[in-house]
Amino acid sequence: MEKIQYSVSDFIAITNQTLEYAYPSVEIEGEVASFKVNQGKFIFFDIKDAGGSIGCFMTVWQLRVPIEDGMKVVVTASPKLTQWGKFSLTVKAVRPSGEGALKKSFELLKAKLDKEGLFLEARKRSLPSIPQHVAVISSTQSAGYADFIKILNDRWGGLRVDVAHVQVQGAGAPDQIIRALSYLNSRDELPEVIVIIRGGGSADDLSAFNDEQLVRAIAGSRVPTLVGVGHEIDESLADLAADRRAATPSNAAQILVPDKNEIIRATRYQVRSLLPRVESAIDQQSVFVRTIISDILARAEQKIEHRFEQLTAIRSVLTQLDPQTVLARGYGLIRGIQKVGGMIEIETNKAIIKAEVKNVHAK
Amino acid sequence: MSTPNKTIQEKTAELSELVSWFDSEEFTLETALDKFKQAEALAESIEKDLTALKNDIQIVKQKFDSEA
Repeated sequence: MEKIQYSVSDFIAITNQTLEYAYPSVEIEGEVASFKVNQGKFIFFDIKDAGGSIGCFMTVWQLRVPIEDGMKVVVTASPKLTQWGKFSLTVKAVRPSGEGALKKSFELLKAKLDKEGLFLEARKRSLPSIPQHVAVISSTQSAGYADFIKILNDRWGGLRVDVAHVQVQGAGAPDQIIRALSYLNSRDELPEVIVIIRGGGSADDLSAFNDEQLVRAIAGSRVPTLVGVGHEIDESLADLAADRRAATPSNAAQILVPDKNEIIRATRYQVRSLLPRVESAIDQQSVFVRTIISDILARAEQKIEHRFEQLTAIRSVLTQLDPQTVLARGYGLIRGIQKVGGMIEIETNKAIIKAEVKNVHAK
Repeated sequence: MSTPNKTIQEKTAELSELVSWFDSEEFTLETALDKFKQAEALAESIEKDLTALKNDIQIVKQKFDSEA
């Protein structure tokens, strides 16, 4: 068999071709060591375990979560032999591995972004009380999305909802959500709110929402954002960067729109509460009218009483003038011709006497 | 008087205005019945709108799994 002789460069190239064919992309788990950033652009570190160590290279923009020495990570990389004959991994992505590393990475990024003011309350914008057009970024196959839509439909109607279907976990999720955010922010008809939702999951499942570029995209969104990721106890950096945080996808729907059943109840109550007000006004008016009537009656009674008193006085005078009263006092009433020989009638209290006139003379 | 073209927010605002009238100095018994009937009709219309309206949910066609 003929021996093939290569130049150094050719051998390096052919080795790289073989490596690329055998391991186009490989995931390797290990601990970070000797982490350093050169010229603010290039990152070098070793990934190691008890039995070995491999050098890694990547660019700063590829690093989506902070890492430091001692952290357990999974790198997605291609193996490569450099022109100096050094074997290394060209890293495409790094993600923390295990709860401890995830927590550490979360805390590092949280502190960094907090220092930049990304989570400041003053940056938060208020959401419209009753929006008419909203956009949702989620996986349409997820339980969280189903919960959100159910609660939304139960609570409100007439809303235009544009849904951007994306992956909400895994390595590709942050970029998909960023693209969806950018797309929704650049539409001619901007939604009034962008809602980003994802149901519960493990810390690793939810780690997509702690991606630095995604958190920055949420903070930089032109349209106000509402983020509801995981359960109540889960806190993601996406939550902190959003204009409003929802505890869960269902809670996001509750925050987004009012409950129509509550509005219907409140409206009915408002109208019902008008009746007692009208009744009270009628009562007040009745009391007023009754007072006036009773005042009029009292005045009329007074006048009548006065008239009665006047009448009694007149009656008393009249009684005194009554001829019978005069007769009762002993006087007599004479009728007839008062001349000598004439016949007269004398009426006393008790008798009528006929008499003849014997004498008439002047007083 | 309310018209069918008004939004729920407009109708709700109109109802609130009517309700405030009952507490205002402009209140008179002569117009109260008329205003009450208007409020009742508005409330009925709001309830009808809220019950009838459905959300329009559209999945956008754009794919986000790779750079456009």
